[in-house]
Amino acid sequence: MEILLDEKYGEQLAKEAANPDAISSWNQFKLTYQAAKASSVPYFEGLVALSHLPHIDFLPHQKEAAEEIIHQMQGRAILADEVGLGKTIEAGLVLKEYLIRGMVNKVLILTPASLVNQWVTELHEKFYIQAYAPRKNPAWKDADIMVTSIDMAKKDPHYSEILSIPYDLIIIDEAHKLKNPATKNYQFVKALQKKYCLLLTATPIQNRITDIFNLVSILKPGYLGDLSSFKKEYGKKMGNLDGNLHLKKLISKVMIRNRRQDTGLADTKRMVKTEWIEFSEEEQQVYEKLETIKGTHPSFTYLTLAKELCSSREACYLSSKQMYDKLGDPENTGPLHDLISGVEQLPHHAKAKRMVEIIQQSDEKFIVFTEYRASQYYLQWYLQQHGISSVPFRGGFKRSKKDWMKQLFRDHAQVMIATEAAGEGINLQFCRNMINYDLPWNPMRLEQRIGRIHRFGQEKNVQIYNFAIKNTIEEHILNLLYDKISLFENAIGELDHILEDLDIKDLGHEIEAIYSESSSYGEAKIKLNNLASVISSHSEAERRSSS
Amino acid sequence: MKEAAAHEQFIRSFFHEYDCPILSDEDGRLVIQLTDKMDEALMNRPFYWHYIKKMGRQGDPMSLTLITNPDLSEEKGEYIHSGSPRLRQLYSFLQDNCRFTKLYEAVTITDQQSPLVPWLVTNLRISYFGKQKKDELLSIGLNLIHGTLVPSFMERIENYPLETTISDFTFPMTPLIRIPSGYQRIVSYVHNHIESQDRTWASQAMEALHEEKQLLSAFFKEENEEDRKLLEQELEALKGRFTPKVTVDVINGGLFYFSQTTTNQIII
Repeated sequence: MEILLDEKYGEQLAKEAANPDAISSWNQFKLTYQAAKASSVPYFEGLVALSHLPHIDFLPHQKEAAEEIIHQMQGRAILADEVGLGKTIEAGLVLKEYLIRGMVNKVLILTPASLVNQWVTELHEKFYIQAYAPRKNPAWKDADIMVTSIDMAKKDPHYSEILSIPYDLIIIDEAHKLKNPATKNYQFVKALQKKYCLLLTATPIQNRITDIFNLVSILKPGYLGDLSSFKKEYGKKMGNLDGNLHLKKLISKVMIRNRRQDTGLADTKRMVKTEWIEFSEEEQQVYEKLETIKGTHPSFTYLTLAKELCSSREACYLSSKQMYDKLGDPENTGPLHDLISGVEQLPHHAKAKRMVEIIQQSDEKFIVFTEYRASQYYLQWYLQQHGISSVPFRGGFKRSKKDWMKQLFRDHAQVMIATEAAGEGINLQFCRNMINYDLPWNPMRLEQRIGRIHRFGQEKNVQIYNFAIKNTIEEHILNLLYDKISLFENAIGELDHILEDLDIKDLGHEIEAIYSESSSYGEAKIKLNNLASVISSHSEAERRSSS
Repeated sequence: MKEAAAHEQFIRSFFHEYDCPILSDEDGRLVIQLTDKMDEALMNRPFYWHYIKKMGRQGDPMSLTLITNPDLSEEKGEYIHSGSPRLRQLYSFLQDNCRFTKLYEAVTITDQQSPLVPWLVTNLRISYFGKQKKDELLSIGLNLIHGTLVPSFMERIENYPLETTISDFTFPMTPLIRIPSGYQRIVSYVHNHIESQDRTWASQAMEALHEEKQLLSAFFKEENEEDRKLLEQELEALKGRFTPKVTVDVINGGLFYFSQTTTNQIII
């Protein structure tokens, strides 16, 4: 066994003993010994970091996760806790432990660009770890702990420099984006030199079972065999639990997955209320006018416009105007023309009115999610008309602007109006009210939204309002998807599990396809009903088999 | 809180040692006036000190408010606990600045000349790297006249008064064993000590290494250039994670002179 020892110290001491400047006093000498004792870790087991971070109340599942990653999984793991259980905290704890023990010096943290600052701040404030976000000419070699986006890292000249550095620890946030081994991102990550590695994702299996194979291959190539034999064994039929049991066991040795229901974090409840809203008479008329374009335009057009009209006249106006201009209609007689002139004359939107009513009844903060930029502008203006302060939030904002908006919302504004892409990563647990002004096609995205406020650190019950307009496409979406699947009452995260078992890739696409492929309303309804009942019966079967 | 009291004690002695007056000290809240030298060492403002020196002006060193009482941790000042950055900074300051010493036992002798016996003292940190890592501290004293080696040396001499200057009517004996060869004796003692430790951790790490290697070679069957490169890289990473090794760092050490009486007490 290798023993590395400072052979030169004897010579040095002989020389320095004659140098009065190098001589320390007896007390200094003793203090140094005392300091060395205090910074040593005399045992292999346990988490020393806990006593170094007395200001954080780690939850039991977080401590266990960190301990398991370090001691059972030897520092290479998928951290797949459900949204809001504190994956970042767990990763920070692992990092801290390795730093204290002196097992890790050089660290690279890859996150979506929008989360870079949040990581740096959280590591600094919670863990006293100084990490850096690269600016223009990052010194990859000098800074010990760097937080950056994959998009930046994979660009030259960073690319080759990063690949030349032997990292002790690599942490990848939102790792489900790495499920496709053909992508540049995947190959980049695979080529990184790493001793330890953490992959963070709330949805380790997003679409297909091979996703997990690809993630594990980053951590432990060979652990699940090679791809072709893996596919042969597990790829086809997912309903067969006996076959899966073995795989589950294998995976549990490289993956930690805490569910909300196992962690006792259900202390704060989520209260979901569906707000049924009725269109005003004028609005209903325009909506019915919309039905007439079904005959003359592709069903996709109808779907888009109907959803938009349920959001705001601005959203609907904008895209119907675009379509109209593109088609050309010299006589101004087509159904689109009728629609546009109808939209132009609409009064304020029924949903917007209801939103203001709800917000006015409270002096608490609200986050409002809409699917459309045009609605976002409209709502901001409409709130301002009622003396309610609000800030906008979009995925497209620059990092600094996002941070700034979040801060404005926390310290000043009552409302944040966000569009979909804002869903990932931003933490707003200081807010407990959410209005889903529009519902997304894909219920998983709703889960991501709710996870922004119903997460670790939320101290109150969370109130969710789901808006839906009666007798419109929204009623169908809400009834079929959200109520029948009873997503909200179930533990979150269960749905992704079910979908993955049923081999449904993207629920949103599935539903859109059903709508646009069906020739009549009745047909769509029947198909959606079928889909919903398959999902809910599967979830019941699942519950029975697990209890 | 035992831990808080220990930190408090450490901070007091540290700043006392480096001539920084403690302005107030109540309830686990200490206010310390830094000297120019310590401000430069601890406060991380090199430009300020560069400027002051260049202008030939009098610097204005800062004061530090350190809080060891957890009940006051919300108050203004730096909260000091095991992992706190300031504490780690003080530790590494000591580590960098106190590697060597030469000390004489303070004795009061009034008439005849008495000899002081030379000892080589070395404090070491042994780190064992297997699947996990742990540290062990060794403090070893070697009598440089007749070669007796005494473990846990710091614990034995902790309470003796020692000075950097020699007391009246005493004189240092010239070592028969030179310092470098004395150090070599300590080194071989450390080797023996490591060899005699339980080796389970090392064999476990070897086992894990072996297992992981097998998985890898099963995975990379195809012999193309890219795979070979990845395989090599992964193997390298595995070795880094699992190859058992031991490192030994010297914390500090020095030449110590003790009276004959004390020497006899230490050896027993």
